Amino acid sequence: MEILGLAIVIVLMLVATIFVVRFLVLKSPTEYRKGFVSSELASNMLNTLLKTAAIDCSQLTITELLQDCSQARSITCDNGEESCQHTESIAKNVFTQTLDKWSMQYEFLAYTDPKSPLIKLGKTCKAEKRSKIFPIPISTATMYTKLDICG
Amino acid sequence: MKRAQIQIGETIAVLFVFFILIIIGFMFYVKVIKDNIDIEKEEMSQLRSVGISQRIMFLPEIQCSEDNIIIDNCIDILKLDYAQSIMKENEIYYYDLLEFSDVNVVQIYPGEAKWNIYSRKTEDFSSKFVTNVPVSLYDPASRKHGFGVLTIETLFK
Repeated sequence: MEILGLAIVIVLMLVATIFVVRFLVLKSPTEYRKGFVSSELASNMLNTLLKTAAIDCSQLTITELLQDCSQARSITCDNGEESCQHTESIAKNVFTQTLDKWSMQYEFLAYTDPKSPLIKLGKTCKAEKRSKIFPIPISTATMYTKLDICG
Repeated sequence: MKRAQIQIGETIAVLFVFFILIIIGFMFYVKVIKDNIDIEKEEMSQLRSVGISQRIMFLPEIQCSEDNIIIDNCIDILKLDYAQSIMKENEIYYYDLLEFSDVNVVQIYPGEAKWNIYSRKTEDFSSKFVTNVPVSLYDPASRKHGFGVLTIETLFK
């Protein structure tokens, strides 16, 4: 009978220990900063890129180049590249010096039809991602630029 | 006499084990409390880092404006040069705002350039956070935007 009492006490102590270890010792800090950084990053990156002026293309903005890229493709830049190619090379340059350097995976798309994007950079995110879509008005419809930051 | 001695010995042994268990329990409790304090300290540092980053992103000394309307997420490159010297001259005022941190603006496109607008570092830090924020770099002379990154390194004791 006494042994049974002792066994119950030991079981209760074990349960209490497991509870303390689970909720107090193994508690990890909440990632407040990660939420702030990732929410700012996708939106700021896309917003800033679209406002950027291309020096080799009569200082036209990336938005204007994308509008041409999805429609007439009449713009040829000083280095001989068309609007689509030039936009892609600027975006590639920017992403190489930012997201690639910070070891962040991403996917950048510019499209009117998501099945056949005009520009595609990076790799598709396989798991969690932060996504930002910016619509750009064009004469026939609306085109979209989308940036997914993985993780 | 011998039986009484044995009983005293038993009591001493039981008390010894009891106190050992109390000491182990207390050590465990102290460890848990210490870990929780460290976690809270880390969370506080993260929140302070976010606060400093937001303060820098909205500093009127560097922010773009057009007809008195503030443009979000944009840095005026003409203001940057003056901000550097103003921040150096009023170091104590900016220390209250930005604490121990290193703030740089790096131009990515077109061309490359770098401005260090605030730097006050300490060797004696326990946590360090680096926050990179993409920002538009506005040149009021040409009225055109470039692409830059605001790098904020915050250090906490």
